[in-house]
Parts: sequence; structure tokens; C-alpha cells
Amino acid sequence: MSEYLNENPDVLEVDQLPSRKEDEQEQLFESFGSQEALRRKKLLMKIDNSPSSQVIRNVELLDKLLLLNNVPDLTSDESSLQSEGEYSSEDGDEAAGHSSMSEYDAEPADPVDVQEIYDLTAHICDPEHPLTLGQLSIVNLPDIEVHDDGNPAHLAEVVIRITPTITHCSLATLIGLGIRVRLERSLPPRFRITILLKKGTHNSEAQVNKQLNDKERVAAACENEQLLGVVSKMLQTCK
Amino acid sequence: MSISLAKAIKLQNDKTWALDYKATPAANLLAVASTDRKIKILNIQPQGTRLSDVLDSTVHHKAVRSVAWRPNTDVNTATLAAGSFDSTVSIWTKELGMEEEEEEDNSEMDLLAIIEGHENEVKCVAWSNDGMLLATCSRDKSVWIWETDEMGEEYECVSVLQEHSQDVKHVVWHPSQPLLASASYDDTIRVWREYDDDWECAAVLTGHEGTVWASDFETPAEQGADTTDIRLCSASDDKTVRVWKYVEDDDENDGQQVWVCQTVLPQVHSRQVYSVAWSRDSGMIASTGSDGTLAVYRESERGSGDWSVVARHELCHGVYEINMVKWINVGGREMLATGGDDGSVNLWNIDL
Repeated sequence: MSEYLNENPDVLEVDQLPSRKEDEQEQLFESFGSQEALRRKKLLMKIDNSPSSQVIRNVELLDKLLLLNNVPDLTSDESSLQSEGEYSSEDGDEAAGHSSMSEYDAEPADPVDVQEIYDLTAHICDPEHPLTLGQLSIVNLPDIEVHDDGNPAHLAEVVIRITPTITHCSLATLIGLGIRVRLERSLPPRFRITILLKKGTHNSEAQVNKQLNDKERVAAACENEQLLGVVSKMLQTCK
Repeated sequence: MSISLAKAIKLQNDKTWALDYKATPAANLLAVASTDRKIKILNIQPQGTRLSDVLDSTVHHKAVRSVAWRPNTDVNTATLAAGSFDSTVSIWTKELGMEEEEEEDNSEMDLLAIIEGHENEVKCVAWSNDGMLLATCSRDKSVWIWETDEMGEEYECVSVLQEHSQDVKHVVWHPSQPLLASASYDDTIRVWREYDDDWECAAVLTGHEGTVWASDFETPAEQGADTTDIRLCSASDDKTVRVWKYVEDDDENDGQQVWVCQTVLPQVHSRQVYSVAWSRDSGMIASTGSDGTLAVYRESERGSGDWSVVARHELCHGVYEINMVKWINVGGREMLATGGDDGSVNLWNIDL
């Protein structure tokens, strides 16, 4: 059995898990909502060098309001009228697929990266142990691949290779299903998700891989109350 | 040649799994199966599309995976079979208006029968060309063949075919001969024929390197044409679409049919191919799948095996996957219908 990589997994403490580096700028963005708002505020500070300036306060208020509601898309009325005109009202949802191209051209692309995928999956609870998939090194940062240009109108892909804790682990399928359900619920529809067992970690690799990536089987599993109950437990916070 | 969107019809917020089309003098009916357990019936006319019926959604308690109109029955009756993940098959029927110009066709489809037998999810249902046999398949690895009466009320199981080693994803009948093809998660297609009041496996088509999601027979050129001229196309997880050709019966091997893979169609898809359809009218093949691309292939000369991609259209349901493609004939014009994970049915013009 020593040919397998993962015979005796080390358990990691939560604070040992890889996380995004604290980014000072990012914290600033959070309080201001966006880089754009930050830049605007800096500009206003230059013009009227007093934080209590009425203009700055108004702009801050506006930014806060915008944060509460969804920021309207930066398209001209003309182009949105055009895309509505092409389809009758009942087709509105389909038209969204087309018009979104122009809508998002104006916004900077915000691609999903491996850390985001890691954060979504590493905190899923193992079905057997009161530990997370990250702590058990079932999910590992270097085994996640993301191909995404951030454009909601383009297809994107996530490939995750998982390392089950025991080679004959019948729960590998369940863990994979938990990861898939979490990602399908969290990621935008442009993502195609592939979940694989890491090579050499399981003695029925091909079988488990096939099952985890069969959309029909996954869809049927998600209509199985009992199975869904177990998966829901995994997706709750680990205790 | 190009593919252009004729109409996008948003029907639900869940996956559209399947569709089937039946053209009658009174109405062109498109049945749509969805995860939301509702079966919707659209009437597609050249001048517009109308939602004509939503079937009782309490009949199935899980996703409806497959729908099929019964062919060659009384022209004034429309009968539909639906297979569900709840392991049952339902049969629905309604009378069609006798006159073409009826003011509003408000009659609803009534539940005629529920067929039980499969152990778990029914993946596909298909009627034989004469409308007297219904084939169903399931994750339980079996294909069941049911015989019915004129009315379509009673169903007697005449055969249970259990030779696939994994889920059976799809079944389809030959348009004129007593032949059935089943596609499976075991990466094979099996061809079944009638033998001595029962059904037997006539051939196993191997070559795909992943689940075979669907297959479709070629319609013979004309009635009474050479009955040994049989071809089948198939769509797979391995991203390919293949055309298979019957060669001969092998008398040395128990009369097993010899089939060869005639062609692997030019590669278009970058992910799983979920659906394939062979046009009865033009002989062209259409395929679609996970990458959201719709592709149309044409053969240089019928039977030659020399196929080229004549049209392709990307992201046909936005960024969503497409589960089904079907050729439909609307008032003499050949079109394509697709159903996707976005809950939409899209109709496509094929512009020459």
C-alpha cells in the first residue's frame, strides 16, 4: 500500500491552511466599494483639502447607496433598447446572454482564481471526521486549476484533483459530490467543473472520476433526499 | 450555410432535459421535459409559437428526463410518453381539433397510464415506428420493451434486456425496421433485434472512449429501399460524433451483425457531446453538448462517409450546457430545436 501518496495524512491546523495575503489596498477597496470610488475620493481631496467637505460627503453617501443596491450596468440606453428590441418580452432571459457581452465590456474583468476555489472547498466538512477537507489535505491549493478570463459571457473551467484519505475510501464519491454541489451553487453558470481523484490515490480512480463528472448522475443524486441531507451536513461549518 | 436564432423561449428556471416534436394537421407540438417536473407543450407555427399546455406536475415527483410522441397513430390523437428520475413512465393523451382553424385549442392532455418496472431513474423513452412498442431504459442497466394496444392504455412488458454493464442513457428505434439501439455509460452501443417473440442483442458497437449519451438512425432514402443499408450516428463524452454502418450478418458467429465505425465526424466539440440528431429530410446530422455549440454536418454524397461541418454556432444558450437537439419541420421548413440548462428552448433557422 505504500505506493499511495496519502496513507497517513497529516492534519493541518486551520491557521496553517493557505489563504490570500492580507492586502492593504484590498482592505481600502472594501471600505470604498471600488477602486473607482477610491480614485474619485483622492481627486476630491486634492481639490478641496478638507475631509468634511460637502462634496466628499455627498459622494461618499452616493457610494454607500450604490453598494446597498446593485450597481447599474454601464451600458448606454441605446444598446440596451436595441437588445430588447431584438427579442420579444418573453425571450428576455435569453437576450441577457447576448447583451451581457456589451454590458460587461465596460467593467474590469474579475476572474475567479485558485484561492477562491480553495476557500470554497477547503472548508467543507469531511463526512467521517470533524475536520475540513483542507485540514485533511484532501483539497490542496496546487491541485486546483482555473481557466477564467472573468468575462461572464465566456466559458470558464475549474479542475480539482482531490486526494482521498484512504485508498479504498468509498466516501471519495461523496466528498467529490459535496465539492461539486458547493461549486455549482457558488460559481456563475459559465463554469464547467471537473473533479478528479489525484492519480495514484485511489484503487477505483476511473470509476469514481466517471461518476463525479456525469451530469445526469449528479442531477439525480441531487434529487435524492437522503444523499442531499448528508451533503448539506458536509457543507455546513465544521464542528 | 449558417445557423441563426429564430426564437428563444424561456420556459423554466431549471434544466430543460429533452424535447420531442410531432407535426399534425391541427398543431405542431413540441413537448419539453424539465427538472421542475413539469412537461410543457408548445404549438409551433410559422407565424408564432404558443404554450398550449402544462401537464399535471404532481404525477412525477422527480425530474422528467425524456419525452416522446407516439408516431403513426390516429391523426386526431396525440399521445406522449415521459420518463422520469422517479423511476416511472407516464403516458398522456389528448384529442386534437378536427378542423385546422379552430379558434383556441384549449384541450388539456390527460394522464392515460403510469408504467412501473424500473428500479431507479428512467433516462429515456422511445416509441417504435408503428407506435405499438415502447422502449424504456434506466440507471438500473436494463432496457425494457413494452407492447401496447391501439389506445395506448395497457402496457405489457415483452422483454427485459440486461446486457449493458452500466446505466443505459438512451434508446432509439430504427425508422422502418424492427431494430433498437441503446447507448450506455459502459461506453458501448448495443443493437437489438426481434428474435422468436423476444429481443436479442444483434451487435455491440465499441470504439467510444466515454459514455455514449445518444444515438440516432439514418432514415432510409425511400420506402422499400435496400434493408441492409443501415447506419447510426452517436454522441459521446469523448467529445466525438461517430457514424456506424451495418456490414452483414456473420453466419459463423451465431448470425451476429457486423458493424463498423464508418467515420468519426470532424471534431467540433471541446466537451461532452450530449445529443445527436440525423435529419429525415436533408440527411444532415446535428450535434450539441456541454460546450453550448451547435454543429451541423453534411455528407458529400449519401453513403460516402465523407462528412464536413457545414455550420456551427457557439454559445447557443448563453454560457449554459445544451442537453438536446432535434430536427423539426415547421410548415415545410427544416429547423433545429435545442433545450438547455438555462431552461430555454431555442429554435434555429438553417440558412442555405
